[in-house]
Amino acid sequence: MQEKVLILGGGVIGLATAFELSRRNYDVTVLEKTSCGGQASGAAAGMLAPYSEIGEDPDDFFKLCLDSLRMYKTWQADVKAISKLDFEYTESGSLHAVYHDADVLALETRQSWQSEWGAETELISGERLWDMEPTLSKDIKAAMYYPEESHVFAPDYVKALEAACRRNGVKIHEHLEAVEVVDFKQSITVRAKEGKEFTGERLIVCSGAWSNELEDVFGIRIPVYPIRGQICAYDVPVDQVKHIVYTSQGYLVPKGNGTLVNGASEDIAGFKTDVTDKGIQRLTNWNKQVFPFLADMNPFHTWAGLRPATQDGFPLIGKLEGASQVVFATGHYRNGILLSPITAVAVADLLDEKEAYAPLASCKPERFM
Amino acid sequence: MKQKKLTIAGKELSSRFFIGTGRYPNPFVQNEAIKASGAEVLTFAIRRVNLGAPNEDAILQHLEGMSFTYLPNTSGAKTAEEAIRIARLAKASGLSDWIKIEISVDEKTLLPDPIETLKATEVLAKEGFVVLPYTSDDPVLCKRLEEAGAAAVMPGGAPIGTGLGILNPYNLQLITEQANVPIIVDAGLGSAMDVAQAMELGADGVLMNTPVAKAKDPVKMASAMKYAIEAGRLSYEAGRIQKKKYATASSGLTEFVSK
Repeated sequence: MQEKVLILGGGVIGLATAFELSRRNYDVTVLEKTSCGGQASGAAAGMLAPYSEIGEDPDDFFKLCLDSLRMYKTWQADVKAISKLDFEYTESGSLHAVYHDADVLALETRQSWQSEWGAETELISGERLWDMEPTLSKDIKAAMYYPEESHVFAPDYVKALEAACRRNGVKIHEHLEAVEVVDFKQSITVRAKEGKEFTGERLIVCSGAWSNELEDVFGIRIPVYPIRGQICAYDVPVDQVKHIVYTSQGYLVPKGNGTLVNGASEDIAGFKTDVTDKGIQRLTNWNKQVFPFLADMNPFHTWAGLRPATQDGFPLIGKLEGASQVVFATGHYRNGILLSPITAVAVADLLDEKEAYAPLASCKPERFM
Repeated sequence: MKQKKLTIAGKELSSRFFIGTGRYPNPFVQNEAIKASGAEVLTFAIRRVNLGAPNEDAILQHLEGMSFTYLPNTSGAKTAEEAIRIARLAKASGLSDWIKIEISVDEKTLLPDPIETLKATEVLAKEGFVVLPYTSDDPVLCKRLEEAGAAAVMPGGAPIGTGLGILNPYNLQLITEQANVPIIVDAGLGSAMDVAQAMELGADGVLMNTPVAKAKDPVKMASAMKYAIEAGRLSYEAGRIQKKKYATASSGLTEFVSK
């Protein structure tokens, strides 16, 4: 008999986990209040950039991100093969650009420890920088080149994951409006609108920015906060920008269709997902310092998503100690797209009772006092 | 209870806690931790700030509506010349005329270069900056920095971000005893214990970033550090007892025994 697994949340983490479990012969049902990939997942710039994101030290979060990056090539090919849908996955490499000589020491520090983890890095300055990225501002002093960093087109990736799940027999229920965990101790029962009930033997919590609402249900602290991320996009000639460009103020990601995605303005706005003039102007005022040609352009599209941030910066991934039939996989903040393969595989391994993936030691869902 | 306030370059500060803006897990936790710290002086790396529009900076934008004394720092500078250059950029942007000089050469220890730090202090103090140099915990060097015009001197307890605590309490006590300007212990502290120790050794304040930002609960840790600063300072002002080898009865029985 297949074990019945209910997954709360149809974001990238919920869908990736459903996909992996469906490959391991579980009977999987995804319960989504609105529509799949409708929040942070669909809004993401899709960067797969652990070296750019984590510059300070090799903690478990860095290991999660790095291992996930290294899984991506195979993972995305599997999703494409099963979904029969294509989406952009580009191994563009990234340039972490800096404006002061004083930044070079910090780049050397990160190069020093990142190299120990097998990172390919090269500190680039002078003409070679503009050979690699011709329209980059001449004010940039140097950049760290990370050839391994890549990006996916997040909305298409999420659509393909959803399609792959359906093809593998995952049942996906959307627009449930209210989803309430009625019982998780004896058996798992989740009730949606109009009293419709779903039951199973396992429950996986992938509720993203809304996870905090479950504190009373499970009787634990779940310090996950929504942080709004506002993004804008420009229409530029295909291949004009070649790499992800990352700076202290934000990033630019060149998509294969000529869209240049510029993120992100973060702010604290509760569950609001509208864009603000202030948030977008912060990007449009600054981005010409990276690519001067943007001074004469206007973004053709602006949007926002809610990122599930946590109190200590680590996601919540693991079984509840008091109720091992409940597994958390939430709080991935700005790295949900990147962390989707490692989270899916780590959660599936937990269900299979395999030895737990070591970095999960920092991700225990009940760690908050 | 009457407590003397910390004054730097004529500015009376409401708190002895100087806090950094780096490494927080997200803007929400950053803001809550800074609020909980009660800190009035905020430090950040100039090289990371959008100097053209500081109110639109990735980190500083979140602090809108709160009031701080900004202490921009020259972290990443390897020479006095470089530190002076970015200090001038920060001042010209209108951010602040306070400057924390931080000059390091070794990418692993980030220990301050004493010679370059002294040079930069002399130049920037003459130019009218309020100079707070981050320096090694050498009593002679700290005195030289004071003479060069530092408004306060900031010896490190241990290398930046290590959380090793105060590696040389003897030196730190000498430094605070000799100083005519405030001594702010900067770098290397890990927990409330280290902070209380610094304050009991006579420090006038403490600058921290990593031990708060990278704690499991940064908001709670900011609060803990705030209490540790207050407790350590009160203990210093109150004057501790001498250490003795043998016990003394605290009930003081002997005085009351009638003969």
